Amino acid sequence: MTRWGMVIDTDICTGCEACIVACAAENNVQSVGPDEAANGRAMHWLRIEREYEGVFPDIKVRFKPVLCQQCAEAPCEPVCPVFATYRTDEGLNAMVYSRCIGTRYCANNCPYTVRVFNFHAGDWPAPLDRQLNPDVSPRPAGVMEKCTFCVQRIQDGQDRAKDEDREVADGDIQPACAQSCPTQAIVFGDLENPSSRVARGGRSNRAYHLLEDLDTQPSVTYLKGDDWGGINV
Amino acid sequence: MASTSEGRHEERILRPLAGLRPGLVAGSLITGALVALLLYSWGYQVLNDIGVTGLNRPVFWGFYITNFVFWIGISHAGTLISAILRVTAAEWRRPITRCAEAITVFALAIGALFPLIHLGRVWNFYYMLPLPNSRGLWPNFRSPLMWDMVAINTYLLGSVLYLLLPLLPDMAILRDRALVEKPGTLKALFYRTIAMGWRGTPQQWHSLEKGIGVMAVVIIPVAISVHTIVSWDFAMTLTPMWHSTIFGPYFVVGAIYSGIAVLMVAMFLLRSGLRLEGYLDNKVFNNLGLLLVTMTLLWSYFTYAEHLTLWYGDQASEIAVFNERVWGRFASLFWTMVVLNAIIPLAVLPFRWGRRPAWTAAVGLCVLIGMWLERYLIVVGSLSVPRLDFTVGYYQPTWVEWGIFAGSFGLFGLLYFVFLQLAPIVSIWEVREGEHHADEPLTSGQPALRPVSEES
Amino acid sequence: MANVTHAVFTSGRQVREALGLLAQGGVGPEDIEVRSSIPLDEESLAPAGQRLRSRVPLMAVLGGAIGGLGAYLLVALTSRAYPLVTGGMPIVPMMSTAIIVFEGAAMGCILLTVATVLFECRLPRLTWRPGPFDAELAAGKIVVAVRGKPSPDWTTGALATSSPGAGVPSPDAGGERT
Repeated sequence: MTRWGMVIDTDICTGCEACIVACAAENNVQSVGPDEAANGRAMHWLRIEREYEGVFPDIKVRFKPVLCQQCAEAPCEPVCPVFATYRTDEGLNAMVYSRCIGTRYCANNCPYTVRVFNFHAGDWPAPLDRQLNPDVSPRPAGVMEKCTFCVQRIQDGQDRAKDEDREVADGDIQPACAQSCPTQAIVFGDLENPSSRVARGGRSNRAYHLLEDLDTQPSVTYLKGDDWGGINV
Repeated sequence: MASTSEGRHEERILRPLAGLRPGLVAGSLITGALVALLLYSWGYQVLNDIGVTGLNRPVFWGFYITNFVFWIGISHAGTLISAILRVTAAEWRRPITRCAEAITVFALAIGALFPLIHLGRVWNFYYMLPLPNSRGLWPNFRSPLMWDMVAINTYLLGSVLYLLLPLLPDMAILRDRALVEKPGTLKALFYRTIAMGWRGTPQQWHSLEKGIGVMAVVIIPVAISVHTIVSWDFAMTLTPMWHSTIFGPYFVVGAIYSGIAVLMVAMFLLRSGLRLEGYLDNKVFNNLGLLLVTMTLLWSYFTYAEHLTLWYGDQASEIAVFNERVWGRFASLFWTMVVLNAIIPLAVLPFRWGRRPAWTAAVGLCVLIGMWLERYLIVVGSLSVPRLDFTVGYYQPTWVEWGIFAGSFGLFGLLYFVFLQLAPIVSIWEVREGEHHADEPLTSGQPALRPVSEES
Repeated sequence: MANVTHAVFTSGRQVREALGLLAQGGVGPEDIEVRSSIPLDEESLAPAGQRLRSRVPLMAVLGGAIGGLGAYLLVALTSRAYPLVTGGMPIVPMMSTAIIVFEGAAMGCILLTVATVLFECRLPRLTWRPGPFDAELAAGKIVVAVRGKPSPDWTTGALATSSPGAGVPSPDAGGERT
């Protein structure tokens, strides 16, 4: 059985935000404009959080991409009254746009605040509409959305593997953020495959989870060491 | 049997029903204008997306959920007054049961409207109903919002029936009078239809009283469960200062508190507007005032317990919310709430002069505002300070939210004005029954109260 | 239509005396109808021989059982028909299902209680027609209607205590049984 997961190495993340741009391009994430963004309605599916360590002039900044943790015991799932979000067999937290009626209860119960809501529908006036990814449906107003681990790429990778009569290899499927990261800080794969990079990353002694004490059992593992410089796990 | 002066009293109750009275018509028009504002604002929102509100990430819930909890809380007025006082056979309830039950029904209906208003795609709300469909999809009964739907619908149905059942004999009285005084009019036909052929035979009274007795007993746990379940919309989350085991009882106490406050204000307005001093007399206000101050103490106890626990535990994510609420951004609202909900009632209600009608109504108004603030602080205050503080929130309601908020009061007023012109706001047969018990005391030896005659 | 005699009384005591006289005169409870605008210790106002019964408490409990069972089946069957895992919870968690069952029981109890009350009162009554003393009834008096030929056994005695002007034998007036 496949269980998708991600490892994010905060020791090597440079905070360049290429992952955010790639994600927005891949998933038809709308750009809300400066006024709406100032009102807290920016729609980015992941964000880079900054942690400052030390005191000036010895300040170090640690960058931490935060996205949907695809929790095994996701608090956002049971509170949706219409089953618009639930856990799939492959360990993803599914988000069904056409079922969402917009109670926004799931977003309240996400302790990581990674869910975003379409307060207005996205608008891509020509010729911007030509940049839309045909594999991903744009969302109407009144619907919740969040990182899906690029489920359309997962689906595509699995279809290709089936066509070519082989198993999905580690590294075959890359979400847009992992694909675009210049330092390879974001790594994606099958946690049930013990030799995959994500499984090995999870066994690292630098591994931790966000808000570990809440025991939401996230599928995203972060790596953080005391000294910088280590790239390979 | 009753004295001849009773006829004169009852004319007071029946006067609003006899044709269009300028005061009630004016009230209906003003509240009607507010309802128009409600419809316009909501229509604007439906056409221009939910983004016309001030909601954002992380404050996904704002005015609408605050008002939802507020109105459901107010709905506890009627049930608890008329049901609990009926079950405990408190005779002083007789003149106030109907106006309290009417408050319950209308406040519930409005409260139930707000979750619809707050939906992103309200036209799909029926996804929450367990209706068979071609995809085989059912609602998620694990969600507190589904518990809300079931509970509020049960309570709404129960309250409507609990209002209508004791209304039957009064409708029969009105029918009998109308058929004699004004046969053939629309009103006569209306009362004849609503009375459903009630005759008042001993068998009918026996059945009706048994039915009302059962309803009174059943509606009490329903009412308690409703506001508990509403509180669990918050308590079932992991949000700091929401995830609290005390929320169930806390909200029920708050609901009864705000319910009695609304009842005081409504009764005062009815008493002055309809000259019902003979029925809504000083004794009733005194007793309700004592009940109100009891709820003040209970509410203050729960609030203190909640805040003490959080402060003492000093957990980072909870203290962040606590600090913003008590000393930070929300401090002015928080302390205003404390003054309105605790200090003013405790400074006024323990004294006899403080429980006279005008004073209790004024305190009731303060409590109403204070309880609204409490709900706002719980909803917006906690959401504004999420665990990962990178997405801290600032919420500013827009004219759409204010319009719907004001309009909801208009809707309540309009429903009440219409009700006043269709049914007697004091239950005629229950008051007559109380006088009868006073004339021929009950076998248990309990002396019955009778309405006090005219006084200032 | 049968002959119906009406009498208007002002107190329950008078009514009880009148009912006693009617019973002595051999008038059966099915020919007597007592109407009042308030519930005056109903047992004593029922014509002799008529027992007041109400199945409401039993029906309330029955309604609660049916409602609770129905709610449980709704939750259990629909959740299992399309099982979706949410937050690691079981498909039919006992604790949250109990809430729905409680509310369903309350709903069933309320509905069956009201239905029973309406049934026992024989409401809605489409064949209702106004009677000659409805205004007095609305003003708080008690009206007794007796169907059948008025007999000297009870007319003088019973009607002696009633209001003046009452006791007129009137054809038809819709004296209904309940």
